[in-house]
Amino acid sequence: MANPSKTLFSGLRILDLTRAVAGPTCTRMFSELGADVIKVEAFPEGDLTRQVSKIRNERSLYFVQQNLGKKSLCVDLRNPKGLQLVKDLVPLVDVVVQNFKPGVMASMGMAYDDLKELKQDIILCSISSLGQTGSLAEKPGYDMIAQSYAGVTSMVGDPDDAPCFPQLAIGDVSTGVMGAFSVLAALYHRDRTGEGQHLDVSILDTYYHSHEASVHQYSGSNGKIEPNRTGRHMNYLAPAGVFRANGGYITIMSFLHHWKDLCAAMDRPELAEDERLGNDEGRLENLDEVIELIESWLQNFPDRDTAMDKLDEFGVPAGPVLTIAETVAHPHLRERGTVRTIDDRIAGKFEIPGLPPKFSKFPDLPEFDAPTLGEHNEEIITNILGRSDDELAELRNAGILKEKNI
Amino acid sequence: MTGATEPLFEGLKILDFTRALAGPTCTRMFAEMGADVIKVESAPNGDLTRQMSKIRNDRSLYYIQQNLGKQSLCVNLRDPRGIALMKELVPHMDVVVENFKPGRMASMGLDYEALKELKEDIILCSISAMGQTGPLATKPGYDYIAQAYTGVTSMIGDPNDAPSIPLLGIGDVATGVHGAFAVLAAIYHRERTGRGQHLDVALADVYYHCHEVNVHQYTGSNGEIKPTRGGRHMSYVCPAGVFRANGGDIMIMAFLHHFKDLCAAMDRPELVTKEGWTTDQERLARLDEVVALVETWLQTFPSHWDAIAKMEEHGVPVAPILTVEDTITHPHLLHRGTIRTINDRLAGEFGIPGMPIKFSEFPEDLPLEADTLGQHNAHIITEVLNHSEEELAQLRADGILNEGEF
Repeated sequence: MANPSKTLFSGLRILDLTRAVAGPTCTRMFSELGADVIKVEAFPEGDLTRQVSKIRNERSLYFVQQNLGKKSLCVDLRNPKGLQLVKDLVPLVDVVVQNFKPGVMASMGMAYDDLKELKQDIILCSISSLGQTGSLAEKPGYDMIAQSYAGVTSMVGDPDDAPCFPQLAIGDVSTGVMGAFSVLAALYHRDRTGEGQHLDVSILDTYYHSHEASVHQYSGSNGKIEPNRTGRHMNYLAPAGVFRANGGYITIMSFLHHWKDLCAAMDRPELAEDERLGNDEGRLENLDEVIELIESWLQNFPDRDTAMDKLDEFGVPAGPVLTIAETVAHPHLRERGTVRTIDDRIAGKFEIPGLPPKFSKFPDLPEFDAPTLGEHNEEIITNILGRSDDELAELRNAGILKEKNI
Repeated sequence: MTGATEPLFEGLKILDFTRALAGPTCTRMFAEMGADVIKVESAPNGDLTRQMSKIRNDRSLYYIQQNLGKQSLCVNLRDPRGIALMKELVPHMDVVVENFKPGRMASMGLDYEALKELKEDIILCSISAMGQTGPLATKPGYDYIAQAYTGVTSMIGDPNDAPSIPLLGIGDVATGVHGAFAVLAAIYHRERTGRGQHLDVALADVYYHCHEVNVHQYTGSNGEIKPTRGGRHMSYVCPAGVFRANGGDIMIMAFLHHFKDLCAAMDRPELVTKEGWTTDQERLARLDEVVALVETWLQTFPSHWDAIAKMEEHGVPVAPILTVEDTITHPHLLHRGTIRTINDRLAGEFGIPGMPIKFSEFPEDLPLEADTLGQHNAHIITEVLNHSEEELAQLRADGILNEGEF
């Protein structure tokens, strides 16, 4: 794919008041594609993820992963002079992104209407767990809290036991991307009308959006269908789920027209037309029998990967349940940059998930660094805000700006 | 929030070749905000989801949910005359979105280079399970297959048993939103440079993007940390997970500085400073003990609702684990339009997940309907492409166009 001279978002400037995962994922989509992202970090320790997942040289790999290419401004927001610096930045940016608890921006005098006074066409993207409005808005929130309220956790795990949850931040990351989409939609609107706007994006709404069938099945059947978790098999198609093989697990999706391919792979072509097992409804009714049939067939193979080869040969949609270690070494994931290697100046080399969309008109991702705490204080205060070196020194002396090599 | 006069994407034209879930979610983001989306459905039966989740009057609620506001053009893509119609449409479009198996667009003469010949600045967004490139690109793919290949499934469920799968299209929907982000980023780029581009968005890349710590923990520790599923408790902060209480399970996130709030709620302030209990790492080392302590305390409440109220009083991040049924009537979800009521002319009234983003400069939800199969055939052929009524009749008679009341 061809390399243009400029990055996709060069010239776009974002004031980033986010911490943790959902907010930083939103601004990450822009910084990795070349936008100028000024990350304001709370005084004195900065983003709380600087304290989490510290594995090498006291540098948090978590922070590095989510903040590549951003500029760090570490400033005391409880000091009016510190807050003023941030307000002075507003007229110089296109977009403000924040994920404070709802109400905090207003308490700092930075609600949407305040920002609009500072810059008429400003775009404010507010990311939160449960939304800016509604009875739950003020609750402290994390991914799993929103997941619970969205009915998502109830759909994960063994139906006869307490639910479990995916051990990764699916909701946070999806919400960050939803936020990034909304920011671009607002820029599209601004380009046409000259108007800015306020965006309200929440993990709850994003998770709920992912119920592809449960909500309409429940409400459309007037409550007759009560969606619930079913462990490792789908509840409206069959067979579709996780199956045991020797030495590992395989996800097999051979419902509808894929069933005949699985029957061919198992050398049981007669089952494709079987009266009981020939359609999804029948297979759902006899799910235990179908699982037993497939899992005993899988036992014929010495290991997971030889069973996978057979399934692939017959075009059955299937995939091995890889561990994280296996994903890092997988040729497909490496070739696509799904797995991306970072060489951090403090923490050294390690792997992170790459940026998912691949753009033909955007060069291979540049070698970005994550900033150390307050690394860009000087550049932002003197170059962007045009303050003198004396003022910079004074802000440092007064403890309003802070720098630390972490 | 105030309403603007016209929908945000008014005038934007998208040719939509997508089926199932990930692709239709991408174009749904545009259709629900006023873009002109022409959904091309393969004759004779159209999108396969028209056959699924048929609950009322033979109309698929699944199809309706994902395809509000789109125009259905049902055409035979195996006939050269059908393909010719597609090529005629391309110059009228800003964006083409497709989620065929990689290679299928090229086999129809509709790959990016071919589309570029038809319209120099066209944007093509290709959505797939495993991506357009790499050794796994042409595998048949579904959400759970990509989930298995990206180490995500391995992170869900009881560590001593086979993994579970979440019973909702989290990966598909997140991929659709990544695609929508990519399309807008490409439009942003086109408006500044005049150039189109090809976008490659894959479920595998999107799922991988959601590993907020697993990938860097494994590679950054040189393989010493081997992330795996932890059932209903998080693996790197503690306490954080699903706890059993009378009458229901509760999600409690009382790690880091929240632990002191939980101790206060339990009236066990001494635990905050007790040796071996003060950090998340120490508490993780005695997870069983921590879980037993919290669950024993939860038993002192007659119902989980009382326990939740007690913890909320002390500011502990906590949530009830709602079922899908519970979400439908929840005042917060209703207030935000997280749950949205649709009144379909064939299927009647039911609830679906709403648009996750709230725009201050965008009117309330548009009163959109989902098309019946080929409903816009006549409009697109005669009005958009300017073919005569005779030609339309001929295309119908030859089975190149199809229509159906479902």
